[in-house]
Amino acid sequence: MDLSTILLVALAGSVVAPFVVARAGVLGGPLAAVLPAALFAWFFAQIGAVGTAPIVEVVPWVPSLGIDLTFRLDGFSLLFALLITGIGTLVTLYAASYMAEKPAFVRAQFLFYILLFMTAMLATVTADNLVALFVFWEMTSLLSFLLVGFQSEDAKARKAALQSLLVTASGGLALLAGIILIGVEAGTFSIAALVANPAPVLDSPLFPLIVACVLIGAFTKSAQFPFHFWLPNAMKAPTPASAYLHSATMVKLGVYLLARLDPVFAGAPWVGATLVFFGGLTMLIAAVQALRAIELKAVLAYSTVASLGTLVMLIGLDGPVSSVAVVGLILAHALYKATLFFCAGIVIHATHETRLRALGGLAKLLPFTAAATVLASFSMAGLPPFIGFISKEYLFEAKLESSLDTVAVTIGVLVNAVMVAIAGVLALRPFFGRPKKAFHVEHGEQPGMTVGPLLLAVVGVTFGLVPSLVAYALIEPAAIAIHGAPFDVSFKLWHGFTPMLALSGLVVALGAVLAWFWDPIHLAMRRRRAFDEVFLDRGYDLVLGRTLALARWSTNVLQNGDLRVYAAVVSATVTGLLAYGLLAGEGPVLPAIAGEPVRPYLLVVCALIVAGCLVAAAVPSLVSAIVAVGLSGYGLALVFLLNGGPDLALTQFSVETLFVVIVMAVLLKLPIVARSSRTTGERWMDGALAAAFAACILVATLWIAAKPFNPELTEYFAATAVPEGFGRNVVNVILVDFRALDTFGEIAVVAFAALGAWALLRSGGGSRRASKGA
Amino acid sequence: MTLVYAITIAAYVGCGLYMMLSRHVVRMILGLTLLTNGAIFLIFFSGRIGSSMPPVIPQGSDALSADAANALPQALVLTAIVIGFALTAFAIALALKAYRSLGTLDVREMKAAEALGAPDAPSSSQTVTNHG
Repeated sequence: MDLSTILLVALAGSVVAPFVVARAGVLGGPLAAVLPAALFAWFFAQIGAVGTAPIVEVVPWVPSLGIDLTFRLDGFSLLFALLITGIGTLVTLYAASYMAEKPAFVRAQFLFYILLFMTAMLATVTADNLVALFVFWEMTSLLSFLLVGFQSEDAKARKAALQSLLVTASGGLALLAGIILIGVEAGTFSIAALVANPAPVLDSPLFPLIVACVLIGAFTKSAQFPFHFWLPNAMKAPTPASAYLHSATMVKLGVYLLARLDPVFAGAPWVGATLVFFGGLTMLIAAVQALRAIELKAVLAYSTVASLGTLVMLIGLDGPVSSVAVVGLILAHALYKATLFFCAGIVIHATHETRLRALGGLAKLLPFTAAATVLASFSMAGLPPFIGFISKEYLFEAKLESSLDTVAVTIGVLVNAVMVAIAGVLALRPFFGRPKKAFHVEHGEQPGMTVGPLLLAVVGVTFGLVPSLVAYALIEPAAIAIHGAPFDVSFKLWHGFTPMLALSGLVVALGAVLAWFWDPIHLAMRRRRAFDEVFLDRGYDLVLGRTLALARWSTNVLQNGDLRVYAAVVSATVTGLLAYGLLAGEGPVLPAIAGEPVRPYLLVVCALIVAGCLVAAAVPSLVSAIVAVGLSGYGLALVFLLNGGPDLALTQFSVETLFVVIVMAVLLKLPIVARSSRTTGERWMDGALAAAFAACILVATLWIAAKPFNPELTEYFAATAVPEGFGRNVVNVILVDFRALDTFGEIAVVAFAALGAWALLRSGGGSRRASKGA
Repeated sequence: MTLVYAITIAAYVGCGLYMMLSRHVVRMILGLTLLTNGAIFLIFFSGRIGSSMPPVIPQGSDALSADAANALPQALVLTAIVIGFALTAFAIALALKAYRSLGTLDVREMKAAEALGAPDAPSSSQTVTNHG
């Protein structure tokens, strides 16, 4: 089976599975877990093939735009695919048990989202075409929205869901802009092609803009400063979703993309420095907030943000070791953080208590959960012989090797010490500490929930003890894939007495001190309210509030129900566009008018028209205005008459006469005194607008006159009127012969207008009194 | 004369727009008429004004003489005049009907449709019935 078939199977399976779950009762969870487990097995079987060369598959999608569904499975993609399907299997099992007492429909709905998310994730990490990647990327954002807001009756969950969607989707828009710019500059959307030849993007003058767009996309997805706030809020999701989306997989997509494009961006050193800056800042903020967090899941969320910051910083560092450190940390973090979330979910499920400080003494009731938590915490703390220890060794090695060693190492030591402290508190307090007051415990271990974390924790130890299990099969191909060139990868537990070991020791010692004094530090930090102002989502609320205020304001101003405002907006827009059209380019061309003969009679007629117009616009009396409009209409008829258009003049005279008669007749039925409908200010504004519009028309008219006249059609009609139309009046021949269909349409319009007017006036209408009575 | 014609056209559309921006329905219709006349004049003008000889082919000849007026814009203008008149006539009928139903010619007071669409609109009891 090839890769695209596998993705289709995943999609079909995610659609079918909910129906199975809804009907299968207790067995539903394990049945649904078959799908991710089978996918895991397939990806596991590809390890050998991927080790030699990436698997590439092209499915044409929009060939004319250079967008193909190119799937490419290399070492880095494979690592993610294994994490997605492996942890996905456990999440499915766990979720079925976690939601056991919920109605079948709710369970099925949740698993549907989870499996669909898994499919979208698999497609994202195997997509080689950036446009395809973006589509799947946005799918994961959308599913994250649905999962965060899963408890939709909770207003806070809805708010958090909307926030996560707005932040990640607006970042997604920036990413799309960056991707399109990349496509424009490089002529390709393929990541592999970009990595092979980064020069067109690197040398482009738009390169800083491309980097900014891609970074915004990655930072929103991976919760980096200043977008870090959405991830802790997203903890409103049910715990299985938190473990899966907001820790192990989805939030690492930003890191994934940055690592993928690192060989391209590495050509400009300032990009790396930017990543180190934002990653480091995120780490520090997350460490402070983790110390201040009250709820169990919030502590885990902030520690996840810190790990994501570490990953971003590592990608920014130069040197091949940083790729090993990135891969090692992704693997180690997914293993221990998913475990910790699972265990936190079990504790919350069993006690209905979410605050860390309220918990204690659970080891007797939940022995396996306690064991898994301890193991995962040790890995998180970076103690030997866990995989977390190895990844931390490489982390420090990468920092020491890089050109930014002092800053990176200092931040790394501080933040990792906080991680050690958090790990200690998480492992010890809920399970072995003394509870402040007694609380109710609903249930002990439940196999469906316990098996996942226990398995992951054991895997974490195994990989730590025997790193050769993953070193050659997973770590090496993945590190080489993101480094862009082969190098000698070593991934082992014992490195000898190195500076890294000393730093690890320092971190553990500092962390132990922090953990010992956790309570006083936590309480002191909580009292610093200033952190809330800076680190929480005040900025988001501000932007959202201002946007809504702007929408309200523009609705009030532009759509306030006053027809005059609508007309003014429309005519101002038209005037603006007209002015732009006239002034853009080389500007208007004016005709040579100096030597033209002046026709005194027409001069008088035109003056009459202008006077009629001005009087009509200026007089308050409606009767005078109608007379003035009629006057200007007769003037136009005279212009026709004197310029070889007797038919036109005749029509214009009759129409103008009819107009004056009809309006006068109607006016008899209307109040003759019209009170002024505009204030003086509004008059001036309208006058200015009308003057600007008239000026534009004036210039445009003169420009028309300056252009050479094309007589082709005129000559054609003049020559063919008699031989083909058999008429001597050329205007009439055009109307009834050459353009007969137009004339027919015109007659139809007149007929419809007459019908409409007749229908409106026929009944005599509902009188004013009658309408008020209705 | 080009400049004179151009100024006349500009006066038509400028004054027409100024009157259309009014809130009084009859003035808006008058403005519409002026704007229509401006557009008609512009079409006529863009076919070049100069000759005063109507585009009629004399008996015994098969083609129009070269110094006759341009026939094409005249044909277009003829259509435009009639359509413009139909539009104005319909607008006047509408204004009359609106006055009979709503009792006002001020568009600020013609808000029934706005109230219908607003999210916090009162129930349909406020909408205006126009049958007696």
